[in-house]
Amino acid sequence: MIDYFVFFTILAMATVTYLTRITGYLLLHNKVLNPRLGKVLEAIPGCVLIAVIAPAFATTNIANLLALAITLLLASRFSLLPTVIISIAVTALLRHYIPY
Amino acid sequence: MSTHKEFIRGLVAAIPIMISFIPFSLVLGAQAIQRGMATGEISLMVAMNFAGGSEFVAVNLWTSPPHLLLLAFMTLLVNSRHILMGAALTPYLQGLPKKKVLLALFFMCDESWAMSFADAKKSTNQRFNYHYYIGASLGLYLTWVIFTTIGALVGPLIGDVTHYGFDMAFVAVFLVLLKGMWKGVVAAIPWLVSLIVAVVSYLILPGAWYVLCGAIAGLIVAFIMAHYD
Repeated sequence: MIDYFVFFTILAMATVTYLTRITGYLLLHNKVLNPRLGKVLEAIPGCVLIAVIAPAFATTNIANLLALAITLLLASRFSLLPTVIISIAVTALLRHYIPY
Repeated sequence: MSTHKEFIRGLVAAIPIMISFIPFSLVLGAQAIQRGMATGEISLMVAMNFAGGSEFVAVNLWTSPPHLLLLAFMTLLVNSRHILMGAALTPYLQGLPKKKVLLALFFMCDESWAMSFADAKKSTNQRFNYHYYIGASLGLYLTWVIFTTIGALVGPLIGDVTHYGFDMAFVAVFLVLLKGMWKGVVAAIPWLVSLIVAVVSYLILPGAWYVLCGAIAGLIVAFIMAHYD
């Protein structure tokens, strides 16, 4: 049995999340965009994605910095699957062999 | 191409990301159990939200009974980037019926959104491919919900898997997605500003403000740069 209060908390979170997902579309879907707004919209994806992973860049740990640099290099050369797999392996090895 | 083929194409393209979801969803489920949530509660939460960042925050702030307003506000903060993401996608959604779009947007996460965005830009008609998106989204959604539930069930047995390098999987995924959006050094200036501001915000502000601060700073720079084009 799910507690009623827990249920309403989850429902509140889910409602907020869904509203964030549809708001951008509801605001813009029947508008003609001026070119400047269009340029800003173009920049959104990169800015959002890089802000989400920013914590990985906020480190002074040598192993993590090396792992991040190698992951950047991998991402620039390879497709998704090899990048993900090699990056995990390299990160694990670096953390194992370069302790704090 | 047929809708069936497009669905499969999206699903297959999402496989590497599905793999990267697994360790995180296991950890989320395990943490939820440690914080006193019931397995049914964590499953319901991820099935209704499908927004990993906000779910990790909620689990870490979870009390019994939970603080509804705090959790709703934190969820808004972490997921506010969806507003920007939806706005960026909207020009590619013209021509799709509103009902279909509103349903599809329920499943919009960073990864499915970036994949479909890149796919739309590559396509000859510059349009969002609905079935490609649904294929990718469904794979990601089911992976997330199923493995979070498994994490809740086997939680006490697994340690902190992030120690083995799995946390770098998300960074790797996002960097490959960013490469797909690369349009030269000048176009990347807002990204760099976004990164710097997000890192500084992360270091000096509590919680999840860094996503919003970084994204907004980058967009201000993009807005100023658009003026000089």
